[in-house]
Amino acid sequence: MAPGKNGQGLPTLVWFSLALLVTWLILPLLPLAVWSVSRSWYFPDLLPSAYSARAWTYVFSPTSDILPALGRTALIALGATFLSALVGLPAGRALGLYQFRGKAIVELLILAPTIVPGIAVALGLHVVFLKLGLAGTAGGVVIVHLIPTLPYMVLVMAGIFSNYNPDAEAQARSLGAGYFQTFYYVTLPAILPGLLIGSLFAFLVSWSQYILTLLIGSGRVVTLPLLLFNFASAGRNDITGAISIIYILPGILLLFLGARHLTGRNRTLENLKQI
Amino acid sequence: MTDVTLEKLTKSYPGADRPAVDNISIDIGSGSLTALLGPSASGKSTVLKMIAGLLSPSSGDILFDGRSVLRQPPDKRDAVLVFQEHLLFPYMTVAENIGFGLKMRRRPKDEISSAVDGMMELMQLDGLAARKPNQLSGGQQQRVALARALVLRPKLLLLDEPFSSLDANLRVEMQGLLRTLHAEFDTTMLFVTHDQEEAVALADSIALLLDGKLRQHDTPDGFYARPQDRSVATFFGAKNFIEGQRQAGIFDCAFGQIRLPDNAPVGGHTLTFRPENVKLVSEAGGINSFPAIIKSIQFLGSQTRLQLTSSDIRFEALVSPFSAASLQSGQQVMVQLPPEVLWLVP
Amino acid sequence: MTERWNIPLMLAPALIIIVGLFLGGLALGLVGSFGYMPFIGREEFNLDAYRSILSSEGFYRSFLLTFHIAFTSTVIASAIALGAALALRRSFYGRTFISFLFQINLTVPHLVGAVGILYLFSQSGFFARLAYEFELISKPSEFPAMIYDPLAIGIILQYVWKEVPFIGLILLANMQTIGKDYEAAARSLGASRWQSFRHVLLPLLTPGLLAAAMIVFAFTFGAYEIPALLGQNYPAALPVLAYQSFTHVDLHARPEAFAMTMIIALLSAAMIMGYAYLSRRHVRT
Repeated sequence: MAPGKNGQGLPTLVWFSLALLVTWLILPLLPLAVWSVSRSWYFPDLLPSAYSARAWTYVFSPTSDILPALGRTALIALGATFLSALVGLPAGRALGLYQFRGKAIVELLILAPTIVPGIAVALGLHVVFLKLGLAGTAGGVVIVHLIPTLPYMVLVMAGIFSNYNPDAEAQARSLGAGYFQTFYYVTLPAILPGLLIGSLFAFLVSWSQYILTLLIGSGRVVTLPLLLFNFASAGRNDITGAISIIYILPGILLLFLGARHLTGRNRTLENLKQI
Repeated sequence: MTDVTLEKLTKSYPGADRPAVDNISIDIGSGSLTALLGPSASGKSTVLKMIAGLLSPSSGDILFDGRSVLRQPPDKRDAVLVFQEHLLFPYMTVAENIGFGLKMRRRPKDEISSAVDGMMELMQLDGLAARKPNQLSGGQQQRVALARALVLRPKLLLLDEPFSSLDANLRVEMQGLLRTLHAEFDTTMLFVTHDQEEAVALADSIALLLDGKLRQHDTPDGFYARPQDRSVATFFGAKNFIEGQRQAGIFDCAFGQIRLPDNAPVGGHTLTFRPENVKLVSEAGGINSFPAIIKSIQFLGSQTRLQLTSSDIRFEALVSPFSAASLQSGQQVMVQLPPEVLWLVP
Repeated sequence: MTERWNIPLMLAPALIIIVGLFLGGLALGLVGSFGYMPFIGREEFNLDAYRSILSSEGFYRSFLLTFHIAFTSTVIASAIALGAALALRRSFYGRTFISFLFQINLTVPHLVGAVGILYLFSQSGFFARLAYEFELISKPSEFPAMIYDPLAIGIILQYVWKEVPFIGLILLANMQTIGKDYEAAARSLGASRWQSFRHVLLPLLTPGLLAAAMIVFAFTFGAYEIPALLGQNYPAALPVLAYQSFTHVDLHARPEAFAMTMIIALLSAAMIMGYAYLSRRHVRT
């Protein structure tokens, strides 16, 4: 290549556009942080005229419903993640290790819930959950969250098992390990990193649900996004800002942990659409 | 045709302990068919990519017909590189692949299609025009890759391990085709290979690269008769290296006073000769003949390999199965090394 | 270990959940759209709901608005993502840092992004204040409406903000798989930089780009909370309209809500088919 265009380095204009883009990607998060510590920030002030910890005091006060909502959101997400892992692991193994008739249909079926919007499913389910007494309960919300989390888990596990050699298990069995010993000492260590990453993301998928929680929870199962929406609509910008920051923390944390895993696997990435 | 000159060509990658290509100077004659030979990671593909313009050298110069081409981007160099993996564009038909370069040059459509047709006929690709690359066999893909480059009538054709992905029979066939094409097109051809036999069978000159350095640039038989040093000789299958002292035309070693050929290099301290040039003789007294004991006999089909020792020095000989028929392990034989098959390396 | 015989067993729990919840929910939505809702004592079966929404102007306006939102944000996000991916795959000073920042909002929920956009672009938001500072406007109402606006600019901004890294990283992963050798081969055959992008890299990327765009389109077409927070009341985006009809005190509006979500589902089904077709073709080449 001609000198100056040797593939190393970026033309100034391109570098500048990229920096601008990245700034734009971060920009919407900044006013949230500033609002959360502002006391008065009226038009046309570019920065708050007074700061206070009022919003944060409110968030952590025993009278506000924010901390209970935080706990509820986390418990629901943990429940959905655990169930997804339990059910998704064997299914992922079947899809990752074996070719069988109808596999394409099964894959399509598992992929479909990640693309079809939740509202189309939840409206129909609502009345059944109502009949079963699950509507308006955290349990019902956990179950409905399986719709986006389970496909995600299955696809991640299928990806992991497609690079897994089951002969190691046969070797362990022939050396005298029992079924559960084999799983615990051979299978689990091999898939654990993938299982953890998959679980973290499944957690985040549930953590981010809004419409499924709203519909199946009938407004009675109040999670963080529901509170966030309400405070934002009510114009309580300081509290909205504080909730936002709490709400994005697990995701940002996860990004530090899993950034490496995000870029490599296509399927993993495509399922982030659920967040 | 282009005369290609590399001047002190060097490529270093950051973090590597030695340059991938180290100070190579070589002149590749116009119209030649030259092999760039070396084991993997010897820097030969890097050289090819620099000549094609796909990689810029850290220092040194590349000249086509005496003019530096470093400032020319790859698409302006008139040197086409055929990659090892073929890299046919998967979404294009065979005909579109072959016509790609002409289309990029904005040639008229009818000119492109007649050039493509001619090329397909020459390369025996008739009837495949509408196929996609994944519907072709390995050999057909190789032909399309060659056709896609040759249709541009480049002055210089660069081939990176062109036949390494083909099975043995197909490889011989493609080597023959390449020689035919070289005769037919007025093109300087430079190909990279790790296969010493392929280089010898195809090329009229060979440049041997070891560890990024050019070790010898010679005709194929030169590497057998006149290796530059021990590692070059070893790369070409030499087995026998005997230490000793040189005194004028005589080499003083464990085998005795061995007479050297007149052109033996002055600085050599190690005698080398190829196993197939060791002669078994019936009686003592000839020039450079001495007794040896057979340690092992290995039948190889068209040849028989003998492991011999003389004065506790081991060496190897390849003889015809016929002359080895009556030999036995442990037997003493008379061995002769004609002076003209001997060579000295440092 | 041969365990082929229990492949159905391994798949069963997942399939039962997905068929039961997902297909079941869709099926109930479908019969509901025909007016059949035995749980609340309605057992009619007709196309009234479809007839009703297809003859109402409000539905068409909602549909067009939703299509506009989904299409515009998908196209803009795809274009920016392609440019960003092309830049990010090259090596340059600060690449690791910029790449990290590029994916930072990937795990940020849509709703948070929407609130951020609200605080930046509303008529009393940060950019309006900046405009005032530079004396471009003298009061908030002079700042162009980008929230609760007929063109849904705020909603589109939010989707673009959120989807650029998503599509961009898919493209980067695709580029990594494709490698740079195809382009090098094209350059050597005489293609200029632009030609090797246009005739080689872009066609190789197209299946992946289209697949990502389809996922994004289906999502943005069916998402509720962003238009609910940033959109105007009339016409509302289709999912918002469906939710409003569903929660309407008059139960007769429910079949219409179901009918609207079925239309959303149908559109996303088309996207799934397209995606499946493209990803399969992608694997084969």
